Amino acid sequence: MSGFRMDQGGRVDRGARVNFTFDGKPYQGFAGDTLASALLAAGVTLFGRSFKYHRPRGIMGAGVEEPNALISVDRGGGRFTPNLRATQIEIYEGLNAKSQNRWPSLKRDFGAINDRLGRFFPAGFYNKTFMWPRSFWEKLYEPAIRRMAGLGDAPSEVDPDHYDAGYAHCELLIVGAGPAGIDAALEASGSNARVILIDEQDELGGGALADPSLWPWLERSVKALQAAPNITILTRTTAFGYFHDNFIGAVERITDHLAEPGHGPREKLWKIRAAEVILAQGAIERPLVFEGNDVPGVMLASAARVFALRHGVAVGKNVAVMAAHDSGWKDALALAKAGVGIAAIIDVRDAVDAGLVAEAEAKDIPIYLNYSVIGVNGRHHVKSAQICSNDEYLGGRIACDALLMAGGWTPSIHLWSHSKGSIAWSEDWGAFLPDKPNENVRCVGACGGTFSFGKGVNLGQLPTPKDPATIKAFLDFQNDVTAKDIALAVREGYHSVEHIKRYTTNGMATDQGKTSNLNALQLASGFLDRPIEKIGLTTFRPPYTPQSFGAFAGHAKDALFIATRKSPIDSWAGEQGAVYEPVAQWRRARYFPRSGEDMHAAVNRECLAVRNGVGIFDASTLGKIEVVGPDAAEFLNRMYTNPWKQLEPGRCRYGLLLREDGFITDDGVSARLAPDRFHLTTTTGGAARVLNMMEDYLQTEWPDLNVWLTSITEQWAVIALQGPKARDVIAPFVEGIDLSPEAFPHMAVREGMICGVPTRLFRVSFTGELGYEINVPAAYGRAVWEVLWDAGEAHGITPYGTETMHVLRAEKGFIIVGQDTDGTLTPYDAGLAWAVGKKKADFVGKRSLARPDIVAEGRKQLVGLLTDDPNEVLEEGAQIVADPNQPVPMTMLGHVTSSYWSATLGRSIAIAMVAGGQGRMGETLHIPMPGRTIAAKVTAMVFYDAEGVRVNG
Amino acid sequence: MILIHCPYCDEKRPELEFTYAGEAHIARPADPSTLSDEEWERYLFIRANPKGRHNERWRHSFGCGRFFNAVRDTVTDKFETTYKAGEPRK
Amino acid sequence: MADALLRCEPVPAAPAAYSGVTITLAPPMRRWSLRAKSRQALETHLGLSLPRKIGETLGDIACLGPDEWLWRAVDVEPKETGAGLPLSVVDVSERSVGIILEGHAARAMLNAGCPLDLERFAVGRMTRTIYEGVEIILSRESETRWSVDVWRSFAEHLLLSFTTVARNR
Repeated sequence: MSGFRMDQGGRVDRGARVNFTFDGKPYQGFAGDTLASALLAAGVTLFGRSFKYHRPRGIMGAGVEEPNALISVDRGGGRFTPNLRATQIEIYEGLNAKSQNRWPSLKRDFGAINDRLGRFFPAGFYNKTFMWPRSFWEKLYEPAIRRMAGLGDAPSEVDPDHYDAGYAHCELLIVGAGPAGIDAALEASGSNARVILIDEQDELGGGALADPSLWPWLERSVKALQAAPNITILTRTTAFGYFHDNFIGAVERITDHLAEPGHGPREKLWKIRAAEVILAQGAIERPLVFEGNDVPGVMLASAARVFALRHGVAVGKNVAVMAAHDSGWKDALALAKAGVGIAAIIDVRDAVDAGLVAEAEAKDIPIYLNYSVIGVNGRHHVKSAQICSNDEYLGGRIACDALLMAGGWTPSIHLWSHSKGSIAWSEDWGAFLPDKPNENVRCVGACGGTFSFGKGVNLGQLPTPKDPATIKAFLDFQNDVTAKDIALAVREGYHSVEHIKRYTTNGMATDQGKTSNLNALQLASGFLDRPIEKIGLTTFRPPYTPQSFGAFAGHAKDALFIATRKSPIDSWAGEQGAVYEPVAQWRRARYFPRSGEDMHAAVNRECLAVRNGVGIFDASTLGKIEVVGPDAAEFLNRMYTNPWKQLEPGRCRYGLLLREDGFITDDGVSARLAPDRFHLTTTTGGAARVLNMMEDYLQTEWPDLNVWLTSITEQWAVIALQGPKARDVIAPFVEGIDLSPEAFPHMAVREGMICGVPTRLFRVSFTGELGYEINVPAAYGRAVWEVLWDAGEAHGITPYGTETMHVLRAEKGFIIVGQDTDGTLTPYDAGLAWAVGKKKADFVGKRSLARPDIVAEGRKQLVGLLTDDPNEVLEEGAQIVADPNQPVPMTMLGHVTSSYWSATLGRSIAIAMVAGGQGRMGETLHIPMPGRTIAAKVTAMVFYDAEGVRVNG
Repeated sequence: MILIHCPYCDEKRPELEFTYAGEAHIARPADPSTLSDEEWERYLFIRANPKGRHNERWRHSFGCGRFFNAVRDTVTDKFETTYKAGEPRK
Repeated sequence: MADALLRCEPVPAAPAAYSGVTITLAPPMRRWSLRAKSRQALETHLGLSLPRKIGETLGDIACLGPDEWLWRAVDVEPKETGAGLPLSVVDVSERSVGIILEGHAARAMLNAGCPLDLERFAVGRMTRTIYEGVEIILSRESETRWSVDVWRSFAEHLLLSFTTVARNR
């Protein structure tokens, strides 16, 4: 034996040496080692500091259950991962691993003072102590606690890795490739059923990897599985969650074990839909609860077996075993056979299977039956164990360099519980077993309770003659919860297992109590004097183990985080230097600055260009719906507030759409192309919502109507040409349409050709100027735009963006649904009474307009606001009061919904929602701002061309 | 992510294709103007919200586009059945 | 349509080849949304046979819903729009662009974002579904060739999504 590496045995490749560092110090291991096995081989016992008390901690488990050895791995260049379990990190050449939660170093940790102060840190300490003064919490307590009680550091750089994701479907999913999972897969091999076999380790085998007698079987089985065309094998893959209808989330770690991660994805998120699921997750050994059970070198017996037989590493040269279960004896005997010195087997029971005792005696192993370990000597590693008879105060010290715990086995029912399968208490196991399934799933092997590890005894804490209130016997190693914390919680009145969990934080660490839940339950059961099955287990929730944010984000990051919709003319705007803004899912050109211009200057120029010449605007994002069928007019008549049946083909109408509760939800100008064909427009953000709402009424309320809705938002690009010279610009390119004002008046629509492509030409205006909205097939949108752009040069054509559009419409008092309305405004509140068909018997929302609260006085209504100081531009969202001198809190009358500088008028304008607004014309209201108050007069909402003559050109 | 049987497509499809659309079998009154304020309020705002079996509407938005009805248990999130719009309550 | 004006597509027309899959912009196509309560009414009006079951295709026409068909081909056009009849024919030719994915890895690539069981998706089938939050119309044209119709404004995003997956596998 060199150090703790055994001369032979294990599955590591002794010919392949691997160099790595831990806390900057170089080490060497073999291919096939985990960080834990390689460091144990080098004699390292100290792996981390505990969460609360900063106690020195070593390795406790050999796999997923490890609570102590949380490690950060830094691959450089932003590839930094905290909180990995040393027992699951495969070493590779150049691995740079670091311990956590210590300062300045692992051996001399400043925070360890918390351990000395332990009696002042009982359960609920933070809740009780840091309650007040309240302001101290945010500024002082919380930051300080966070610094002290951290796990690993959060990465600070952008993660350069790519993460793959995908859906997979199979007839059978098997989670866990130990002997039970492998058997299940072999049974299903060769059929037509698609089988996916998942295991979190780097090779198949599970528990069999630590049992050389099974290796020939394992090799044969793995070969058979790999040859089966219907079986997909995913190693290094953790099934982290089990969701409805057999939907399982799993993360495959693709490059973390490689020295060179390459260019492929680091991880892949598998979203697996399985017709049937077999869970073969095995079981996790329980630690025993006694003083000093967290000293480095105290570990699970099963872990020592894995290190010895799988990795060829002895966890000690003189190892004592504290057992409450036969499996501890079996592990001790296996270790002895492999050449590990066994100092003693101590068993809390007074009688143990005679065969096991005889075998141990044959190997000259000292045996202490009916004894318990009551203390451990050593701080950074075990030096000896103090034992005591359970019947009399008679004990001694056993010199050892490692102490193994065999507290029995807890079947891994995590995923079963995610799937909402019921569980039942098993006295034999001292644990809960799967009972009735809630999905098409079954458990096999140890996780289903069908594998026998032997017999054991269930107990909360080992007997001890010491005062239980003075000792630290750990339950939850990761959250530093001790037996006395459970006692305290029960004493303070927490009797529900969910309350005990939250008060003590037992089971709430990143390992979700894999090794602690059952021990805590046993203890609570004792303190409460209630059987465990009456207390119940806390709920397991996904993820089974922590997963990276990267895996969950998958492809959806950076530009792919969410779709950015772009209009056919978007690219032109970009070439012209437009500044974009997001509008719903779209990006739209907000303004087109010339060199040296800020937004204000650009918008002023764009506004004046439209009012005095001609502007060109991309309105393609407007929602559009083609409504076709004999009942089209009837349908629209029922949906919109205004009458539609009499609208003549070729004419347009402003439509106002309410929800059934009477509040405005959308608006837009729509055209009747033919008796049975309408071209509707909606707001940009409302397109999908309006179509859904209309489909809802059509399909479920009025299925008798013969009318169909088709989204044509993206069929047509829309070029708005607005301004006195708009007609002059388009005239040369239009065929088949008489553009004269008599033949083609305001609010009319014509079909014809423009620039040689078909157009639906609307003569409409959202600016108050003569204008057209030119619909052309989307693929030709940019080409037509460029033709008009070139031709418009002679007329001073100016592109304008959404900001100018907003100013121009506000000057005309046109509302923007969603900006000037907030889901609580009726047409009357919005000053749109004219758009409500008085003679209509019914339309969506009509009945609500007669509800008592809707007809009540004092509702908030839209009005214009003109500041006394014309240069003052109000802030949108600013609150409005009647009397600025009233005491705080003031009575708010409403708020500013739209506010702009109007270059046309040479002053500011605003629209506001004001209680009883329409009755306050001429009144002066006040807008309190930090340090001052702004006075403004209530006015009508139309600030420009109130007579509406300009649209006639 | 649950699977939902679309009664129009007649197959189970992933939840991502569907949108929820509230309680089922609340028909819009034929002539709302004849309803009292209380009756209109009941139609507009009052919903069952049961713990357990719930008749509700879904839309196969990213599929056939149809609204349909379903019986779902609000405790277990399991669908008992789905049926076409217009069919009697199940 | 006008020869003088250039079509402008939202994504490059040049095929992009990756390991196991080639991604190509489909040629411009005519697309007609056909709606009616009665399939016979449409068949009579168009003089064509329509598929009966949702998801099925017959010739250039696919059934997308109980009252919805998509007629899609490079050059198809109804003689009449059906004025006055209880049906709806709407030109949606330019609403979408088509993206073709071809190769042995195409299926797995589509499953990166589409939750359907595409291994069991029969050749000739067409359906509306979703890919990473984006509505698509998906059809399998052969064992290894898939066609994806996507609304024009989402095309750039979807193509980026496809190529990101393809490039990183």
